[in-house]
Amino acid sequence: MTLVSAGLVITARSPINSAMALVSTFFFLAGIYVLLWAHTVAVMQVLVYAGAIMVLFLFVIMLLNLGDAPHRGKSSVTRLLGGASALGLLAVLSVTLGRTNPMPANLGPQAQATFGTMAAIGQSIFTTWLLPFEAVSLLLLVAMVGAVVVAKSRI
Amino acid sequence: MVPITYYLLLAAALFCMGMFGVLVRTNALVVFMCVELMLNAVNLTFLAFARMHGDGIGHVSAFFVIAVAAAEAAIGLAIVIAVFRSRGSVNVDDIRTMKH
Amino acid sequence: MDGIVEFFRTAPIPPEVFAPSLGLIILLPLLGAFVCGVFGKWLGRANVHLVACSAIAGAFVLSLMAFWATSDAAGGRVVSMPNAFGLERDVVRYAISYDYGTWFAAGDFRVNFGLLVDHLSGILLLVITGVGFLIHLYSTSYMEHDDGYWRFFAYLNLFVAAMLTLVMADNLVLLFVGWEGVGMASYLLIGFWYTDSAKAWAGRKAFVTNRIGDFAFLIATFLLILTVNAFSQQADPRDFNSAGSSRARYTQGLLEKGPVTFKGLEKMALALPEGTGGAVSLATPIEAGPLAGYTFGGVMTATMLLFLLGAAGKSAQLPLYVWLPDAMAGPTPVSALIHAATMVTAGVYLFCRMSSLLVLSPTAMATIAIVGALTSLLAALIAFAQDDIKKVLAYSTVSQLGIMFMGVGMGVFWAAALHLLTHACFKACLFLGAGSVMHGNGDETDIKKLGGLYKEMKWTHATFLVSTLAITGIIPLSGFFSKDAVFHGVHHNHLHDLHWVSGFVYAMGLLITACTAFYMSRVYLLTFTGKRSPEAKVAHAHESSWFMTLPLVVLAFLSIVTLVYALPLMPRTGGGMQPVFENFLSPVLRPAEAVARAAQTVALDNSTPAFLDYLTAWLVALSGGAAAAFLYLKYFPAQVGKPVPAFARAVRRTAHNKFYVDELYEFILIRPVKFVAFILFRVVDALVIDTVLVRGTAYVTEKVGLGLRRLQTGDAQAYAAIMALAILGGAVYALLQVLS
Repeated sequence: MTLVSAGLVITARSPINSAMALVSTFFFLAGIYVLLWAHTVAVMQVLVYAGAIMVLFLFVIMLLNLGDAPHRGKSSVTRLLGGASALGLLAVLSVTLGRTNPMPANLGPQAQATFGTMAAIGQSIFTTWLLPFEAVSLLLLVAMVGAVVVAKSRI
Repeated sequence: MVPITYYLLLAAALFCMGMFGVLVRTNALVVFMCVELMLNAVNLTFLAFARMHGDGIGHVSAFFVIAVAAAEAAIGLAIVIAVFRSRGSVNVDDIRTMKH
Repeated sequence: MDGIVEFFRTAPIPPEVFAPSLGLIILLPLLGAFVCGVFGKWLGRANVHLVACSAIAGAFVLSLMAFWATSDAAGGRVVSMPNAFGLERDVVRYAISYDYGTWFAAGDFRVNFGLLVDHLSGILLLVITGVGFLIHLYSTSYMEHDDGYWRFFAYLNLFVAAMLTLVMADNLVLLFVGWEGVGMASYLLIGFWYTDSAKAWAGRKAFVTNRIGDFAFLIATFLLILTVNAFSQQADPRDFNSAGSSRARYTQGLLEKGPVTFKGLEKMALALPEGTGGAVSLATPIEAGPLAGYTFGGVMTATMLLFLLGAAGKSAQLPLYVWLPDAMAGPTPVSALIHAATMVTAGVYLFCRMSSLLVLSPTAMATIAIVGALTSLLAALIAFAQDDIKKVLAYSTVSQLGIMFMGVGMGVFWAAALHLLTHACFKACLFLGAGSVMHGNGDETDIKKLGGLYKEMKWTHATFLVSTLAITGIIPLSGFFSKDAVFHGVHHNHLHDLHWVSGFVYAMGLLITACTAFYMSRVYLLTFTGKRSPEAKVAHAHESSWFMTLPLVVLAFLSIVTLVYALPLMPRTGGGMQPVFENFLSPVLRPAEAVARAAQTVALDNSTPAFLDYLTAWLVALSGGAAAAFLYLKYFPAQVGKPVPAFARAVRRTAHNKFYVDELYEFILIRPVKFVAFILFRVVDALVIDTVLVRGTAYVTEKVGLGLRRLQTGDAQAYAAIMALAILGGAVYALLQVLS
């Protein structure tokens, strides 16, 4: 299902359809995250991606009032090259992954209780990864200011 | 228990589809969505490896990736709006400004 | 009486509490420089004055606290600091220090930002900030009509900060920072009126001349580092034992403080003499490293001679003295502060600081003494025929610095330091007096066009008279005592195998005394006495404001009272009395004495001058002054209108043109250098670099770029596709590697 909706993202004619397909992809991915015992990240996936970012996308699409893109038949060499290399990469990766067979780690009951919980991640972020965390917060601030500056027609 | 390989294969497939979209589609908005798709594929690998090693650092990385993706989306869309204002198009073929 | 002694021996702030604040002494003027330099234009004149003066005043108060702390002996416990290079019990008394941690490190080599205040640097701190403050105060009035006031005060504060760094540094590298800092500030201030090209050139000349000396200084530092490394490898326990240290402690010290701290160098100096036994002595060859094969003593002599060149650049000695007279192009307060009282004495300070190393090399000491004597005499002779009041004072500064170098060279470090101190007072007073004269007479500097000022400028006249008498060496002013202390030491100390030096230098010294008395009396008589010259710019001079006269009075007062330092009032260990200043500096100079005794390089004589010595010096000075008085008051006025003998004219012209030294340098140094530069410019620059390298690369790049331009489509997706292709290639390569 994830792959199908992802396929829709890249094939849909209209950006709105693409965006909708992307939303469904995100939801499916969130489900897969839960399977990987990553509940917190799954929740964030839904909140941030499916919520905030997609709203942003839709908002921009509405703002620009884009309809169906007139399909242009001409395909350049580079475009073909790019598509081919993406497919080639997929092939190579599948071959590689096909040769390995790792299994999930066998977590004890103690670890099962904490693995992937908000508490564990929060603990980790605010102790070991505090500096990157602060850097990211700064990045978001800069991005916010930058977005306003770039998008504004006149300053 | 599902072997990690399947998750990784799914991530690889998503990544390559995103890449395909980035390289093939002409609409800048769709290109951005495909970039989000690629970032998600990366997140998936992070989480899969975290599960494989039973280690929380993968989750933290995924968290940071999400934050960076949010920033990237905000800036990217702002640029799209600015470009649309000045050129009236969001088609990447029309924006060949990287030529001196 | 005991109460007073107890008061002075109890620092208001305990030393260990005060030590971490030593950095503030440097920081305050630096902050002042920053504020004046960056915001000065907006702050306005009065605020800039306030900031600059209060920064220096604050530094002065802190210096006073630091100085007080170094004399602290509350409860009978003398202030001391642990010596990182010595044994536990081997503490440095009468000193405080603070180490702000590593400044930089590269491999084994490290330099700490360590500050050290002992009696030597303490007294210099007081001179720098004290005289510095008076001169700042003076400048507020002197520069009242100048628009660049904020720039001026920023530079002046910067100078004080750099000079304080130089004095307080506990290692050579940090000292070099201050050394360069004062050089830069001096350059900026000499060329302060940069719109006048002659003045800008004077600044450049000072800078370039100093560069030569600084280069020698750097090489000497490198040599010292190599020597310390060789020493720490070759020394055996007996060496360390004789220096009051052990291998473990010394290595520990090197690790913690780096190789070029003064305390570490002192320990090496203590271990080097033959008399101490051990594996390393002055005649021992160095085994490994770039210096392999040379003896320690030889390297030490070379190092000290290089330091002499460095000090000659900064302290205006032969052959690098030529910049100082030209440096008078700067504003007069600058000449007083930098080119008389503080910066130019840096060379003397350097040698006092490294006295223990210097006494290892009698050759270097003799060279220093002779260079000092020759410089002093030459400058005194040139000063005879200069008519510019500031030029005369500049040459007299060179001459007095020569006297200090004589003292340093003959091992009377305390007397040289004392002369430094008294000279700072009376020469600053003289310069400020000259500035006051210029200020009141429409910037007239030609002493022939002044005259008769004693009525119009009473304060200036009185203070100028006092300081003239001080520099001339008239009893009972400080200059007499300090100069005589130097000459006495010079006369009675003997360098090993170089006995003739002391007699030669002493004779030169007496000659210099007479010359000094002559030209200083001439300046005084022509400027202040007699009738007002008909060529004067303004009919009536006006006395300067109290901002200018107050520093004059204080400095004149100081140049009288510093004589106390030279009086033999303190008991000497082992009977007899010794001068206050010698006793005062003994904690600093004791290692040098120990080294001299062990190495037997210089026989130090500790006797105090007898009445006869005083009488000789005094008579010489008096005769010089009397000759001047006779000539300029009686003889020349009577000769007006008569033709001057041809011989006298020729002599006067030669002296007036500074013995053509500048022209000589022009001919033997500057012309060849210019010629080489011209060849380099034509051949290397124009042909090789411009045509082949620059245009050639441009041509190739252009052609390649034209070819590559076709690849540039400007399509972001195309670029991304190339990237994807590269990733694919990388992945395939990795896969193949894993598979095979």
